[in-house]
Amino acid sequence: MAYVFAGLYAMKIRFIFLLLLSPSALAHYIPSLTQATTVDASLAVSWSSASQVGDYDFWQIPGTLMGGDAWPTRKGVDINEMNIGLSHRLDDNLFAVIKLGSHSAGTDSHGAVDLEHAYVGWVCCDEFGPWVVEAGKMSALFSPALGVHGAERLSSDTPLVLDVLFGRHFHDQGIRFWLHETGGFSVGAELWKGQAFPATDSEKGGAWDIFGRYQWQGQRLHLSAGAWLYSATAEARADHRYGGGHQHNPVAPPGQAAAPFPDIRYSGDTNIGGLHGAFSYQLNQRWQLGMEAEWMQAKLDGIVHKNTGIQAQLDGTHSGGWLQPFITRDKHTLAIRAELLSMKNTLTGPAAPVLAAESGLANPLEHDPQRLSLIWRWQWRDHLALRAQAVRDNSLVEREHYLLLGVVWQQRLWPHVAAARDHHH
Amino acid sequence: MTATFLSSDYKLLAISLFFLPLLLGCPQQSSTTVDDQGASVSAFSWNLPANIPLPKEPADNPMSEEKFQLGRHLFYDPRLSMNGSISCSSCHHQDKAFSDGLSRPQGATGVQHPRNSQGLVNVAWMNTLTWGNPVLTSIEQQVTLPLFGDDPIEHGINESNFEQILMDLQADSHYAALFSAAFPEQEEPLFGEMAWDNIIKSLASFVRGLTSFGSAFDRGELSVAAQRGSRIFHSERLECFHCHGTYNFSNATIDRQTSFLEAQFHNTGLYNTDGSGAYPHPNTGRHEITGRAAHMGQFRAPSLRNIALTAPYNHDGSVATLRDVIANYAAGGRHTTSGTHAGDGRMNPYKDGFITSFSISAEETDDLVAFLESLTDHDFINNPRYADPWLMYSQGSTP
Repeated sequence: MAYVFAGLYAMKIRFIFLLLLSPSALAHYIPSLTQATTVDASLAVSWSSASQVGDYDFWQIPGTLMGGDAWPTRKGVDINEMNIGLSHRLDDNLFAVIKLGSHSAGTDSHGAVDLEHAYVGWVCCDEFGPWVVEAGKMSALFSPALGVHGAERLSSDTPLVLDVLFGRHFHDQGIRFWLHETGGFSVGAELWKGQAFPATDSEKGGAWDIFGRYQWQGQRLHLSAGAWLYSATAEARADHRYGGGHQHNPVAPPGQAAAPFPDIRYSGDTNIGGLHGAFSYQLNQRWQLGMEAEWMQAKLDGIVHKNTGIQAQLDGTHSGGWLQPFITRDKHTLAIRAELLSMKNTLTGPAAPVLAAESGLANPLEHDPQRLSLIWRWQWRDHLALRAQAVRDNSLVEREHYLLLGVVWQQRLWPHVAAARDHHH
Repeated sequence: MTATFLSSDYKLLAISLFFLPLLLGCPQQSSTTVDDQGASVSAFSWNLPANIPLPKEPADNPMSEEKFQLGRHLFYDPRLSMNGSISCSSCHHQDKAFSDGLSRPQGATGVQHPRNSQGLVNVAWMNTLTWGNPVLTSIEQQVTLPLFGDDPIEHGINESNFEQILMDLQADSHYAALFSAAFPEQEEPLFGEMAWDNIIKSLASFVRGLTSFGSAFDRGELSVAAQRGSRIFHSERLECFHCHGTYNFSNATIDRQTSFLEAQFHNTGLYNTDGSGAYPHPNTGRHEITGRAAHMGQFRAPSLRNIALTAPYNHDGSVATLRDVIANYAAGGRHTTSGTHAGDGRMNPYKDGFITSFSISAEETDDLVAFLESLTDHDFINNPRYADPWLMYSQGSTP
């Protein structure tokens, strides 16, 4: 009897661990034939002890061109994200996925809900596959961390390199063709319309990527590793966090300054290559340890320009990544995430000095952005986790220390089976 | 079981080897290198504030102090006209920021010009140089119009008098030294076929060197009323800054950093003489050059620097005060109820999209005017460097 309980306990620990590592239904999921219709929801809320930047400042990491939804951490309570997703298996081959999501944004955010996933898929040929074709609006698969939601990470915040190179989230319209986890291997290609940073949805815009990865699950060891290439083209890409359309002059309270955002645009190519890997090792029934890491390097070849007719050639190499060792005991996970960015830029042209300053590409102190986080996550209930994070943030020249406390709810609402999760195809 | 663990260990080793390059492949030190390709270098001492980029200098007429000083003498010399009656300075008075205070000036023959004299303020930073010509983009080109133009006649220099005018200049000992200093590579720069070319280049150099960036606005010394006016000016309600933006308060601003700037012209709804958008002949603006109906009544937005000194306003000087200009914009155009130019400019179909009307109180108008007045550069209008050198000679001093 004790042996049975010990076995069940070990299974539960394994389930919790897999919950942390595996992509969820909200990230990417092929609904199974046995549970044709599933509904999943998640909510992540956090409290921060400090803001990364002032109320009327822009979060611009020196040496980078930021954009997308890479908003800074702000003091106080923030709803990091809410998601609800519906997946349905139509028949042996066809399935459809719809997901609505809302993410934290700037100070003037009104909590807009976006249609983040709306795609149909076709899966077949189990004897030499399965091969999967998906089309519609969806998250990318080339970098696993890019499709992971805040509720599914150990930490409350997104890795810096994803903030800088991909604007935190990646949801785009496109088509994906891939060999799905056949013998542990997945390879595929994705073609995107260009609605997700760093591409633009324009005549010359768009993006594509190819990826391959290997996953292996043993008795004690789980590992995965992969590589990818992503290529985007942008036309007059704006930093839509603060710029983009019609510019408004910010109004600050008396005594405070609010400078207008210099709406610098980027036109050109962004080619990014990445490597990622994760492993975990189950020491015994209660203890596990492991590590996750991803490193990527972007080549920027284009021009930065402004509506006043000034431009400069940009040749940039931006590299970065993170390393996250962790140890789990029962329902508690302790992790350290170390992050580093490096940017080498050359701007050429008569307007290079002013555009370097206004775009944020200038880096006179040759600052290497870094961030170190000590993370604790407690899976308090089957569907409810608490997490705490102490951050030493050196993404900007001025170092900032802050605490993040968060609560995460993540649950399959239909069919309602406590602590149950579908297997992936 | 043993075999399984061995296998797991090997995989652990493999994955560790995978992470190794991630750990070892630490990125290089960050840096950003900037090469402005010489854009911040000039042989001429522009004396500009740090935030103002250098203007473009034509390759065939780079700025020099000697050409600037020669051009200054020519600018104030009435001998440079058909009858010795006018000089450039006749219509461009320094105390009025080089405008003349008239609705429309007269040339050497007394013919009235159809256009208002523009102030000559930071002309070097303008991408087009007249009220309505989109292809006139160099000061050297523009200088030839008042000198040699015959419709209307301004200086009235033509084939019948240009040799005599040149001889008058050659007879002045001041010019011999000035021309030699300005064009040292030429043996006799005031004689021969290069003489008029040298005159034009020198006049252009003087006009190009008239720089004004010393207002209260530039010094950050706005009065409380001007600060309120600045907020109104930059508000979405009035939209002034769209056409009068940049450091030169005009969307026709260009400098060495500018790669390309489309010529901007705007119909502000001043006229609508036929109900279909017509402006009074011959002042139809950009339309005069292109002939396109859509360009009817389009004029370039002037710089607002020293604007308080350059009344009356608009292309034909038909608006007397800054308050009248603001009132026209507030109404979304001008409704002329009588006279030969009667018509409702507010209904002009070619009117610019930003001229949509807005509400503004009398106090706000005062504040806005206070802001515009803060753009007056008193150092500029009193700078002896830009003053009449002949006057200094007559007073016994050296310019």
